[in-house]
Parts: sequence; C-alpha cells; structure tokens
Amino acid sequence: MIQRETTVGRTMSKRGAEGILLLGFFGIGLTLGLAFLKAPSVSINAFESPDAQRIFYWHVPAAWAAFIAFGFLFVGSAMWFFKRSNLGWRMHVAGAEAGLATGLMTVWSGMVWGAAEWGVPWDWTDVRLNTFGLLTFLALFLVLGRQSQPDGVETRDTFSTFGLYGFVLVPVTYVATRLWQIRHPGPVVGGGDGGSLAGEMAVILLVGAISFTIFIIGHILMSMRITSLEQRLERIQKSMDKV
Amino acid sequence: MTYLAVAYIGMLFGIGIWTWTVFARSKDLEQRIHAIEQIHIDGEE
Repeated sequence: MIQRETTVGRTMSKRGAEGILLLGFFGIGLTLGLAFLKAPSVSINAFESPDAQRIFYWHVPAAWAAFIAFGFLFVGSAMWFFKRSNLGWRMHVAGAEAGLATGLMTVWSGMVWGAAEWGVPWDWTDVRLNTFGLLTFLALFLVLGRQSQPDGVETRDTFSTFGLYGFVLVPVTYVATRLWQIRHPGPVVGGGDGGSLAGEMAVILLVGAISFTIFIIGHILMSMRITSLEQRLERIQKSMDKV
Repeated sequence: MTYLAVAYIGMLFGIGIWTWTVFARSKDLEQRIHAIEQIHIDGEE
C-alpha cells in the first residue's frame, strides 16, 4: 500500500514537473510570436537597427530566468555545504544546468543584438557583459566538472564552494549598468527616470518574464528529478553488487 | 528581419532540443531502473 502511494506520488510529481515545463515552453513560443507580430516598432532615430530591438523581449526574460537558476544554485550549494542536504545537492545540480542554458540564451541573444546595433557582438570593456559571461562559464564548469568526476562528498564540497563564491557575480552583474554604464543599456523596468516602457511593450515583456519563470522552474524540477533517479539507480546497482 | 528571425528561431530550436533531452534522460533512467528492479524481482523468485 505504502509502495503504491509512493509510486502514485512520484508519477504525480513527474506529471506536474512535465506540465509546468511544457506550459513554460508554450509561453516562450508565444512570447516569440508576440515580439515579432505584436510588439510596436521603435523609433528609427533611437536605434541603429530597430528590428533587432525585438530581441529584447527574449533577452531580458532569459536573463531574469538565469538569475532564478543561479539563485537555486546558491541556495543548493549552501544547503549541501552547511547541512549536507541531498535536496540541496539536487538543487545545486539543477541550478547549474538551468543557469548554463539560460546564461547561453542571454549571451547569444545579446550578441545577436550587439552585432546588429553596435557592429560588434561583444564589448570586452563592458562590465555587465563580462560578469555575466563569467557566470555562464562558472555554470559550464560546474556542469562539465560534475559529469567528469565520481560523485562523492569531496566532489560535492568542491563544486558547492564554487557555487557559493560564484554567486557574488550575480549582484555585481545586476548593479553593473547602474554603476558603470559603458555600453550595455540601463534598466528598462524599475530603473527610475527614462527607464519606463510603453504599455504594449511592457505587457509582452511581462508575458515573457512569466513564461520564462514557469519554464525555468519546470526545468529545475525535472533536473532535480533526474538527479534523484540517477542516485536511485546508483543505490540499486550498489545493493545488487553486494548480493 | 530575416537575420533576426533565424537567430530567434534558432534559439527556440535550441531550447526545444534541451527540453527534449531532459524528457529523454528522465525516461531512459526510469526504464533502466525498472529493468534492473525487474531482474532483481525475477532473481528472487
């Protein structure tokens, strides 16, 4: 009976995570459609490449999702490092994978815009570009590093330490355009004077932010489930080896 | 606009592949666990 309830519970949590993920995927597809077909055009005088500005409806929510993922990475790293929590380790793994994917999305969409607007895809003098790039590299290191090392307390301690220290880059990246505005545009929401958006633009950006939030939560839940399954498989294999 | 459409659709395609790999990994692990557990049960019988 207990076994059956556990199986039912697992199936429900799996279905829930899959449902959230698919809903988020549908939402980001919708954001893409709205950005192309509904978003108002911007002034030709304000931008070198006004059409490329539409990438903003993808770039900003992707960066927002990346910060959520890095938040999970930080909390998970702390939970593992200080409490030896298995849930914390699963959050660390999921946060690193989701941070890598959303980080790459943000960097790629920003480079497409930069190439069209600035004439170069990357500016090495801009603080925000470089700190965000470093964060994405950190996530890449954590994902590849975990796959290349046997799972164990020492491995988890090492990677969770990187997860903890790496998070310092998140607030630095967030305030970078306020403190050192070099080339990356300043905040468009909550940025004070000159940072407001027209109504329709704000609605599409909100749809994007909600969709990316749902999508990244779905991915994090699925990824945590995969790590849990990997651990379960390893336990079964070990117990069978003993027999 | 074509350049932008290619970049956008490429990103959606990339995210689609990532999402598909997550589903595939989950399904693969479930099947492996089920297969091993089945062998274990058959062995006990």
